[in-house]
Amino acid sequence: MDFPILSILVIVPLVGALLTLFMGGARAPKAKFIAAAFSAVTLVLAVYLLTIKPEDLADLTENYVWFKVSGVVKMNIIFQIDGLSILMVFLTALLVFLVVLFSWHEENNANYYHSLLLAMEVGLMGVYMAADYFLFYIMWEVTLIPMFFLISWYGGPRRHYSAIKFFIYTHVASVIMMIGIFIVVFSAHDGSHAVSFAFADVAANSALSEFMQIFVFGLLFFGFAVKMPVPPFHTWLPDAHVEAPTGGSVLLAGVMLKMGSYGIIRICLNQDIFSLAFGFWQPVMIGLGLFAMVYGAYACIAQNDLKKMVAYSSISHMGMVLVGMGCMSEIGIQFAIFQMFAHGIISGVLFMVCGIAGHNFGTRDMRLLGGMAGKFPVYATFMMFGFMASLGLPGLMGFIAEFGLLYGLWTYLAAHSLEWLIVFGLLDMMLTAGYYLWAMQKTLFGKLTDKIDLEHCHDIAKNEIAVLAVLCGLIALFGIMPSVAMDFITPYSSVLGPALEALL
Amino acid sequence: MELYEFAWLVPLIPCICFVLAGFIGHKTPQCGGLIAIAGAAAAFVMAALVSYGYYTSDLYKAAEPFVQNMDWLVVGKITIQFGIYIDTLSCIMMLFASFISTLIFIYSLGYMHDQEGRRRRYFAEVSLFLTGMLGLAVSSNYLEMFVFWEIMGLCSYLLIGFWSFNHEEAVEKSSAAKKAFLVTRLGDVCLMCGLFILLYIFGSLDYQNIFGSIEAHKDDVLLPFAILLMFGGVIGKSAQFPLHDWLPDAMAGPTTVSALIHAATMVKAGIYLVARSYPIFTQCEEAMVFVAAIGGFTAIYAASMALNNMNIKRVLAYSTLSQLGYMVLALGAGAYLISLGTKNGDANLIKLGTAGYIAGILHMINHAFFKALLFLGSGSVIHAVGTEDMRMMGGLRKKMPITAYTMLIGCFSIAGIPIFSGFWSKDLVLEAAFAPFHEGLGFGSVFCVLFVLGMITAFMTAFYMFRMWFMTFTGEPRGHCHGESPKTMTFPLLILSVFAILSGLVIMGNFGYYVARSLKTSMPTAGIFVEKGMDVVKEIFTTPATYVALVLAIVGIAIAFFMYSKKAYDPEKFDQDKKPLYYRIVAKRYYFPEMYNQISWKLGYGVAKGVEAIDKQLIDGTVNGLSNAVVGGGDGLARVETGYVRDYAAYVALGVLILMGIFAVIFIYGGGF
Repeated sequence: MDFPILSILVIVPLVGALLTLFMGGARAPKAKFIAAAFSAVTLVLAVYLLTIKPEDLADLTENYVWFKVSGVVKMNIIFQIDGLSILMVFLTALLVFLVVLFSWHEENNANYYHSLLLAMEVGLMGVYMAADYFLFYIMWEVTLIPMFFLISWYGGPRRHYSAIKFFIYTHVASVIMMIGIFIVVFSAHDGSHAVSFAFADVAANSALSEFMQIFVFGLLFFGFAVKMPVPPFHTWLPDAHVEAPTGGSVLLAGVMLKMGSYGIIRICLNQDIFSLAFGFWQPVMIGLGLFAMVYGAYACIAQNDLKKMVAYSSISHMGMVLVGMGCMSEIGIQFAIFQMFAHGIISGVLFMVCGIAGHNFGTRDMRLLGGMAGKFPVYATFMMFGFMASLGLPGLMGFIAEFGLLYGLWTYLAAHSLEWLIVFGLLDMMLTAGYYLWAMQKTLFGKLTDKIDLEHCHDIAKNEIAVLAVLCGLIALFGIMPSVAMDFITPYSSVLGPALEALL
Repeated sequence: MELYEFAWLVPLIPCICFVLAGFIGHKTPQCGGLIAIAGAAAAFVMAALVSYGYYTSDLYKAAEPFVQNMDWLVVGKITIQFGIYIDTLSCIMMLFASFISTLIFIYSLGYMHDQEGRRRRYFAEVSLFLTGMLGLAVSSNYLEMFVFWEIMGLCSYLLIGFWSFNHEEAVEKSSAAKKAFLVTRLGDVCLMCGLFILLYIFGSLDYQNIFGSIEAHKDDVLLPFAILLMFGGVIGKSAQFPLHDWLPDAMAGPTTVSALIHAATMVKAGIYLVARSYPIFTQCEEAMVFVAAIGGFTAIYAASMALNNMNIKRVLAYSTLSQLGYMVLALGAGAYLISLGTKNGDANLIKLGTAGYIAGILHMINHAFFKALLFLGSGSVIHAVGTEDMRMMGGLRKKMPITAYTMLIGCFSIAGIPIFSGFWSKDLVLEAAFAPFHEGLGFGSVFCVLFVLGMITAFMTAFYMFRMWFMTFTGEPRGHCHGESPKTMTFPLLILSVFAILSGLVIMGNFGYYVARSLKTSMPTAGIFVEKGMDVVKEIFTTPATYVALVLAIVGIAIAFFMYSKKAYDPEKFDQDKKPLYYRIVAKRYYFPEMYNQISWKLGYGVAKGVEAIDKQLIDGTVNGLSNAVVGGGDGLARVETGYVRDYAAYVALGVLILMGIFAVIFIYGGGF
């Protein structure tokens, strides 16, 4: 295809980020229009991608040589898109656009805020479309810096602590991941040609011993697992979320965590490189995933801060993704991708709802709230919708993901005579319903609180209603007609899944 | 086009009404009430047309279901569909659910009149509920059924919690709603696990596929687990022991909701699931003994709690539990008989088992009518006197005669007085429970005990229902009363009372054959055989058990009459400080609510606190400690909180440096420049 749509998807937000960056001073209030325009263009392009037939997506691949030293090393910029990344690209474009709209009234250095959002988009798009290890890694790091500044400039009272914690955690993880990447890349290099970082070149020449496969898989897996995050490497997440501004939280939970699970599927579950490591890591992944599900859900119950609870619920839900990937089967992969997409949309609603609570009521502490449904019915409706979607109410997209993932888990367990372990999946379903219902009980229902100044509280603003309505509409759409999203995923999962199954 | 091909409209109509009432309800007359009523009525008409169309079709004659599917969800290699499955059972479910809903929606116009703008939410939610119920009835596979099953659960939650804010008892109301959702969720989670097993064994969740290939998989070791887990869903939804405790609390919702959801329709979803899954359930007779035992025990257990309750709605709630227990008992016994019948090739057992199935379904329908009648009657009373405490009522017969006498019909019906509808079905239920013992089958003694429990329950039922009636409508007036309710409320009472009298008589006609047709549809090889209607009636009147039950019921009524109307024995004596031990235990609901609280508190919040501590102390402690060790200086991570820009700028720079270093390494490793 002549029109380089994939690179334009990266360049448009990049230009937007640069433009808004220099709109300081009196022009700062106008930055949001620029940001909205550029993110809207990106979204339109992403939606255009969705209209392309899955089998034609490979034609969009773009391959540029970044720089090369003849015969020694070759760095490429390769963008490609397939069933794994297309929904993530769409999700990124959608959430950034909606976050810009949602933060319409941000006044504190608005130009930097929007610049950071767009810079995040550049990195995220790059990660999801990169088909070159080096590019992947660069883009991975690019996402880190805007998020760091979003937290430390626009965050809450403990923002510096959280930002540094976020940075160190994810940076240590990515350094370890990078070591893994280098081992993979250089082991595929036999000296007869230049070192190439392209996914395809590495896969074609990879020759790791079984031990090295297991070891390197572990390095990479660690890097991705911290990002997802998987307990016990998760404590940066609740802190980051509690302090991050709403827009940052939405992107963090909605698309940044998915980088971890995306990386696992794209890089770890590569049957050309790690075929001998799967047997070793499969039980670890499933075990960690189950642990993350239950641990995260229990941690939710103990929280008083609405946003912290939602942050822990992300850990629980991403644990489910890990279980799905760990099944290494067609069903597991298919629904892991679907859950990534579903959680991206649902957590957007959840974090926006929490942000509104903090902003409009002055507190997110559930002990101080109560009876809000009577006073703020629209807000209550969205909160309930989001919570119900997240706890897996049938008819909404969370249910589809949950059903598929737990069924995938069941097929794994039944094949390994470990049926009883399904109890943890069921326990997670119970706990999830428990903490969400309890949270609603404490915030929305019961006696109207007298612990906060209700005079100054106001119901949700028009731009917030519009954004939430779009997300809720999508949740219902994909819940009622899951095939709309599934049609993008299955061409990918029906190839990768059986290939993995054949190896185990 | 045949009429039954429009069956998908039946759940769709209320769904459209849900959207309309939800978004523009406040702009229409009665705040969306008319929309909801029109939707329910249209759904009923549609259901009637579909049923008629199916009844007159060749499919009915050939005992085949009408199935229409479209692809919905791909799970790996399996495609799960979304569609409709019409047989006589789904027709019955659609008909009675939409009919009773229409009446209750009409009643709601009067009952909810003072709720102003809130009615919009009310009518939207009940319409969504009706969508769930009708969708469940026409679903063509288990996953689709589960979707509607849960939608009903959501509506139940929302409607129990109708007053969970802006209300003086908001805290109790919202707790009740939460409890209902969570307890039924426990059952739903089991059901979902059961579905996993079914999907794993059969590679499909389609009724037709599963029923068709059951023979090939009947010896699968996982099948009994699937059956028990599915029954777990029934226990939750139909509030059987030990997940019964949410239903009495669910009375916190408006009375119309109690009548619609917690008596007439939603709680029947569990019964429907058992009836629908007969081909699967009959594969494991031991599990069916368990099913029947749960039903029989729930019947007497719940009835015992109704004996001394002072809250008119709670008495009815316990009575609902007890009657649901009857239905589960009948269906369990029926499945047990069919199971052994097909194994031994004994046509008599199959005939008796089919009778049990018919008994369960008939009781479900009859109960829907008389319990909706009783609940709406109690709603009319509450509307007039403004309290639910029966001690504050009394002598209302004169002031609200229509309510009093229609409720009396309901009481006669549930007590099992001949001609009234409850008589027929309860008798058939008890007969089904007795049959395994009578036939000398294994577990006969268990069924004998269940039969005796059922008999005692019949006595208790008569007593507590008439206790309620006498306390409410006879004696001295003890409080203020507005007088008879408006016509929108009495009209549904009158209609329902007609059905409470007559709906049992269908057994004389072709009803049994019609119901059993659905079994023949799903189990074509079992040789389902049904007796003629009049033969069944003849049998009822020639069995001694019928007369024993009748005498017990009359004794129960008489005791209630002497205690609460004549005051020959003053029931107030129970209310003194020296209450008998048993009285106290029952009043405490056998300490079940406390037990639930303790367990959920310990297993939920207790563990959660532990997790929180691990998170804070162990993991974060280690991380902070490590960073201290690395950074040195003693307060490592804590120091960055001071927020000097140069500090974190330094960290960023450090990262970049590491990156550069690694760059260098690559190039050197790769041969250098």
